[in-house]
Amino acid sequence: METRMEEGAGDTVTELLNGVDFENNTHQKGISNGYGPYSGTLTNGYTCINKKNGYTRGRRQNGHVLASSDEECTSKTMKGPIKNGYVKAASEEPLPKTRIIKESFEPPTLLTAALTHISFYILMFLGYLSQALFPPKVAKEKNRDGYSPLFDKFSSFYSMYVYRRIRDCWNYPICSVPGNEVVLKDRVTRDNGWTFEFTGSKTKCINLASYNYLGFAEKSGPCAEAAIDSIYKYGVTTGGTRQQYGTCDLHVELEKLTAEFLGVEDAITFGMGFATNALNIPTLLSPGCLVISDEKNHASLILGIRLPGATVKVFKHNDVQHLEEILRENIYKGQPNQPKGAYKPWKKILIVVEGVYSMEGTIVRLPEIIALKKKYKAYLYLDEAHSIGAMGKHGRGIVDYFGCDPKEIDILMGTFTKSFGSAGGYIAGTKELISFLRKNSFASKHAWAMAPPVAAQIIAVLKILMGKDGTNEGQKRIETLARNTRYFRKKIEQMGIIIHGNDDSPVVPILVYLYSKIAAMVRILIQEKIATVGVGYPATPLMEGRIRICLSAAHTKEQLDYALQVIEKVANELGLKYSRKPINSEPIEYDKIKVYED
Amino acid sequence: MVKGIVEFLNYWYFRYLLVTELYMVEKWERVMFHIVLLIILSILSLFNTTVVVSLVSPITQSLFIQSDLQEGIPGVRGEL
Ligand SMILES: Cc1ncc(COP(=O)(O)O)c(C=O)c1O
Repeated sequence: METRMEEGAGDTVTELLNGVDFENNTHQKGISNGYGPYSGTLTNGYTCINKKNGYTRGRRQNGHVLASSDEECTSKTMKGPIKNGYVKAASEEPLPKTRIIKESFEPPTLLTAALTHISFYILMFLGYLSQALFPPKVAKEKNRDGYSPLFDKFSSFYSMYVYRRIRDCWNYPICSVPGNEVVLKDRVTRDNGWTFEFTGSKTKCINLASYNYLGFAEKSGPCAEAAIDSIYKYGVTTGGTRQQYGTCDLHVELEKLTAEFLGVEDAITFGMGFATNALNIPTLLSPGCLVISDEKNHASLILGIRLPGATVKVFKHNDVQHLEEILRENIYKGQPNQPKGAYKPWKKILIVVEGVYSMEGTIVRLPEIIALKKKYKAYLYLDEAHSIGAMGKHGRGIVDYFGCDPKEIDILMGTFTKSFGSAGGYIAGTKELISFLRKNSFASKHAWAMAPPVAAQIIAVLKILMGKDGTNEGQKRIETLARNTRYFRKKIEQMGIIIHGNDDSPVVPILVYLYSKIAAMVRILIQEKIATVGVGYPATPLMEGRIRICLSAAHTKEQLDYALQVIEKVANELGLKYSRKPINSEPIEYDKIKVYED
Repeated sequence: MVKGIVEFLNYWYFRYLLVTELYMVEKWERVMFHIVLLIILSILSLFNTTVVVSLVSPITQSLFIQSDLQEGIPGVRGEL
């Protein structure tokens, strides 16, 4: 056993597990017995994470992961030295700062869960009944006797008899820049969602739907100007792949800036974020590699992981202990399908996680995962699509948020869509990694290079974020986003609505559970001129329909207040106040919310 | 007053539709579901009033008669 562990791992784990003790008397008990200050009674648990060894001992308490409503446990009080354990590595470096993870995951009550199940069966029953009585008038191909169906039967049933009924809540065409307000093109359906007609009118809504974290989706201003200027110089196409004649000086500048922004050696950029994941992961893996992936990872990551034929294991969302179990078990077993008794170690092990999870609003436990990755000598692939720009004091993503060293993450990936108001993705890391990708990646060999105006927009945004434009506009936006996030989340929690995720994550999923409630809420909110996104079954677990709200630095306090007031009204009307957590009714003042002051 | 009651009923009917997902189905499906529900409920109550009651009544009868006896005989009760 020991020898096997050495193939992929360092020391045994117990050492790591014993490592944490905090010099914080108020919370010591709460941490060490594994339950929060509300031990046993309430829906809160508690944890504080130390960045170095990053290990939490108390973990779950009847399904609630580590939530806290405690403000006083700031990083200052947590800075105490570690008393025992994890000495070897820790003693060499100065003790880093800590950050407290405050995450809430209130599960539905049994009654809500039961009702949600029952109503889902009602919906299915009526769907099948209606399909049997009135076969849908959809196009059917003739002369296909003996062919097996091209499409999955259940998924077409699902889209015709569940999704179609509330289809008016999705695929809204927009006719303006998706800034803090967005103009929707109105439409009506006269046959229950089978077809739509445009009425010709438009509605201007507050935009809580678009991913536009820093508010750089603009049609005027320095970034738009830069993009326009680049069109005059280069046109909109590059005319080839990066390895042919597609590289222009904008690409070189963009890659240099990206690497500088992230604090790593080099970076490579691609024209599409999805393809960055889907086409670069296969370059790095081959059969005989082990990939361990978070269960809530984005489709692009899953696709990329499946392509090269490596062994894939999935760990429970954000559950570092489960990740460790899987690591240990698979390192011990080695590659599968070996002749009897033979042991063949993995070629390499890759852990794939995201920074901020877009459907859950959770934040990866990066310090813990870095500790694990070092322990077991695995590589770490971090997708910062939703965190780059949006998280951290300097907008450098989750790495910045936790104050980790970006060089400790082997492969840093991110996209330029959400925070940069542009398109495309990057991979950053060591010089060797990036040179390898430049030569071997499908996306640099076979896909066209990023369009010049897209690159110019990103360069302009990066310059603003890094303060190279001579203003503090970037810093202001980062702080506004953080403040908006805290304010909005606290207010919603005060209403007694269940939201998931981390207190600092700008994605706010409001749990409504039922399809009808998703539909009713989206419809009422659009009537009240607020655009939000409803998310149902294929994207979330069956019983966890939700309304996803994306905050932005572009939102003003007035807009947020209006939205909050409407949401409260709707929540009362539809019965969304599921939360049974104690409500902290202290008034929340926007200007006094502290952000990034540690 | 009447208007208030109607509003109240309407609102709670809406809430009922929401939690049963009937809010998003078509009107005839809603009606169909209620008819099926009514049929099931009435069959159930018919079954209760006929089969279950006739099965259970001998048992309850014997129980009641026994307890009647016990109350009828003074002195016995204390010993039990
Ligand atoms: C985690 C993650 N990775 C990658 C992508 C794909 O990026 P893009 O939309 O820029 O293609 C997304 C998009 O939603 C994402 O959420």
